Amino acid sequence: MATPVTSVDKPVAIESGPASDARPPRAPRPPRPNFRQIHQFPLPVNVHHVPPVIPHNPLSLISVVLSYLTFLISPPRQEVYSAYFDKATSSIHVTDERSINALWQMGFFGKGSLSRSEPSWLAREKKRRGLHNGKTSEEMTRLRRTERRELKLERARMEKLAIEERLKAEAAARESAPSEPLDQGLQSTPTDDTTNGTAATTEKFSLKKAKEARALEARQARELAAQNETLAEQNQRETSSNSKSVRFSPIVQKKEFLSNSPSSLQLPDSVVDSLDLDDFANEEHLQLSNEEAFFLVYSLGALQIYDSPLKSGEAQPTSPTTTPALLRQFCHHSFQPARDGSASLQPDDPFLISYAVYHHFRSLGWVIRSGVKFGTDYLLYNRGPVFSHAEFAVIVIPSYNHPYWSETEERKNYTAEKQARSWWWMHCVSRVQAQVLKSLVVCYVEVPPPAASVDDIGALFGQYKVREFLVKRWIPNRTRD
Amino acid sequence: MADADEDAVRAPATASTEPDIDLSDETQDFRFLNHLNFFADSSPSIPRRGEKDFEPNPTELQADVLSASRGAMHNALSYPRLHGAKTRIIAFYAPDGYVPPVQIDRATPKASGEDGKSSESTPKPARPLPNSARISPDACVYVPNPKGQFFKTMGQADSTSRIWLLPEEALYLIERGSLDIRWPSPSGSTEDLSVPMSLQAAYACFMGRGGLTLERYSVYTGLKRLGYALVRAPGWCDDIQQQDADALGSSEITPPKIHGPGLAGMLASLFNWIHDPHSTASTATGPIIGTGIHRSYMDVYRKLAIIPWYDPVTAPERHPFDTTPPFRVVFHIYKPSTPIKKSALPTPDFRIAVVSTRDQTTMPTMTQLGALLESTPLDPPRGEKMDRMMYMRLRHGYRNVVMAVVDQGVVSYLRIADSAFGKEKLYENKGGPQGHKRNYANQKSRKR
Repeated sequence: MATPVTSVDKPVAIESGPASDARPPRAPRPPRPNFRQIHQFPLPVNVHHVPPVIPHNPLSLISVVLSYLTFLISPPRQEVYSAYFDKATSSIHVTDERSINALWQMGFFGKGSLSRSEPSWLAREKKRRGLHNGKTSEEMTRLRRTERRELKLERARMEKLAIEERLKAEAAARESAPSEPLDQGLQSTPTDDTTNGTAATTEKFSLKKAKEARALEARQARELAAQNETLAEQNQRETSSNSKSVRFSPIVQKKEFLSNSPSSLQLPDSVVDSLDLDDFANEEHLQLSNEEAFFLVYSLGALQIYDSPLKSGEAQPTSPTTTPALLRQFCHHSFQPARDGSASLQPDDPFLISYAVYHHFRSLGWVIRSGVKFGTDYLLYNRGPVFSHAEFAVIVIPSYNHPYWSETEERKNYTAEKQARSWWWMHCVSRVQAQVLKSLVVCYVEVPPPAASVDDIGALFGQYKVREFLVKRWIPNRTRD
Repeated sequence: MADADEDAVRAPATASTEPDIDLSDETQDFRFLNHLNFFADSSPSIPRRGEKDFEPNPTELQADVLSASRGAMHNALSYPRLHGAKTRIIAFYAPDGYVPPVQIDRATPKASGEDGKSSESTPKPARPLPNSARISPDACVYVPNPKGQFFKTMGQADSTSRIWLLPEEALYLIERGSLDIRWPSPSGSTEDLSVPMSLQAAYACFMGRGGLTLERYSVYTGLKRLGYALVRAPGWCDDIQQQDADALGSSEITPPKIHGPGLAGMLASLFNWIHDPHSTASTATGPIIGTGIHRSYMDVYRKLAIIPWYDPVTAPERHPFDTTPPFRVVFHIYKPSTPIKKSALPTPDFRIAVVSTRDQTTMPTMTQLGALLESTPLDPPRGEKMDRMMYMRLRHGYRNVVMAVVDQGVVSYLRIADSAFGKEKLYENKGGPQGHKRNYANQKSRKR
């Protein structure tokens, strides 16, 4: 959004007086869920604190001893969740409701297969069918985007009006002074195209102003929409036997129902409507990336991964994949198409490199998630995405520093190709990150020479070394002081 | 969560991370030039920018504004630029570089430069003078009568108070119209008959001389116009690379430092062992944290630290010549506000390496970038504000360097910092953000 530099001679004092009265009270936000309570555990690992020993209170010692005894008699069981590896998508699926919630709430692992991040399809679907109130984050975003788009349209309309006014005034001025030669072409130009510009002297219509002007209107519209929506939902329930409409933003939907026009988009009879409204299965599963899954299995021991989907009836269809086997599987699947199982493990396998980075940041306490939406490898959240925006975006580049990699000409060429990143790519990444207010971290991973065996996973990852560089555009105009 | 538009909303919350809108990228509205008074000596106030239109519309007003802006630009351009008699500075081109002034008793100081050069062609003074040691052998223009503010930050004076200019300094000044360079007169008798050098000739003479490339000159002149002072860094010459690079290759094979859990971590693991003798923790097959009872998340995170990371504090500082060109600091930069004494230069505000994308098409490898950063002094994130704000510490880093990436004359600057995430244990920061980032900052300040 290229907002122009606002002029300084704006009548601030005049505006602030009536604006404070005219500004409608902001619509009350729906109460947010207590995220601190929901996400109080940073990892899906049970932690049992030792009661504190207070020196002047001998009773506290008893409570410590008691807690030890309790654990000795009945050791608490660490919850182990199960998931299965889907070869087609090369990802881990978690289908059990309880596991999904636990993995999301404790450490923000995975994403809903039908949602943006938190698995919220069921809630959205229930709301769609009028079973459930409340808003999911996807709907909030959509609503906000719709509002913003309408405000922009409104601004464009106001600017167009201002231009028309100006044209009229100019035409009038010309008629009053007929000696001046008229520019015919200029007059005949159609003015109904959407123009953004306005004359420099006339006051610019800011987004904020348009917002203010619209707020009252919007509030009324919202009340109306709410009424209409309930009406519409009743309608839908009655008429759902023959048709199902495509869902748009609430406003569009409202219009659709109000107009009742035959041209509104309609789908043929769908399977969904034949289901009972109250009872439908959750179609969504939690999808873990291979790095996340390996972290849960290897580092925390909180996950078991099977080869095939779990049947609800059977307790243990097969034994879970062992950690070394899982590592091999993930490494083979880090290529496209996946390598066959006989291929030997390379030290610069993409999975090994990306897992080293993933583990590094996880072990420091960051919540690390895929950065694909901003064109990077990872995003780093402090505590979690519901608490704060990601502050850092990480791109991973392998580095072949070890002398082994420069021994032969062939290896030199190979590593040069693997390390090469063009400047244009770099500038693209860095400009995008600046636009979304993230700091770009270029994370180099030093690749060790090929090891004889990979039986000791800890020793294997102990050979990788991570180094972070923070890359930011330097603007000389800004640092001049 | 974290979509672009959501992030834009919080822009005013953190001033340091305002989006990069570089006004210099935009086409200017030149009407502001009308407010500049070229003829007055008083420093003009910087004019404000107006609003801008994004699309043409058929109003006459817009057309008027546009033509007014265009007229202002032409007006500003048509202002005659002359060498004023008062501020005129004459310099002489010395194609053979710096020549120490010959003894006073042999010739007049005025014509000494041309006299001596035939006998002493190499810039090797027989008697090293105290000043001459500082004069670069690349200097090729001297100013007999220096005056004006330019020489506060440029050039080096020799014992006869002539100022010797480096090729980029001379080229900058002649391009700016502040210097009148003369060809050396063939006879070497009188300077009055000397021929002024054209800008084209200046480019032909100075470009490529003493390691000056077009890329380096673009960076030099661009920053100079913004008011910075630039001084050549020790890494300017590319020549010394080879033998040093070979030595580097053999000496650099040091075993990587492994950052284990440290003493505190070992004690903690001892305690853990006492707590939990049947520990099943194993890094070989996992789970790393074991299946026993965990007493706190801190312990869990400490056990998880198995990936070694680079510590910029313990890394050895390297000589500038250990780096591989073009990833080598070539300019030291001083802000306009930094007071500069040419004889005793302060610590530079920035160090800059210049890279041509046509010669070096790829980003540096970690080795190249690491060597570049390690050739700069340690600049740890300290200070009252830095102690409070973890993000700021990470962004500042322990060493930093500016890389000017020049692509066919277009310069992009990247600040590269060695930020050690491993030194900031996020899990030890118990409170964490309390819902919003602004609260987070407050909370942190309360804590410390």
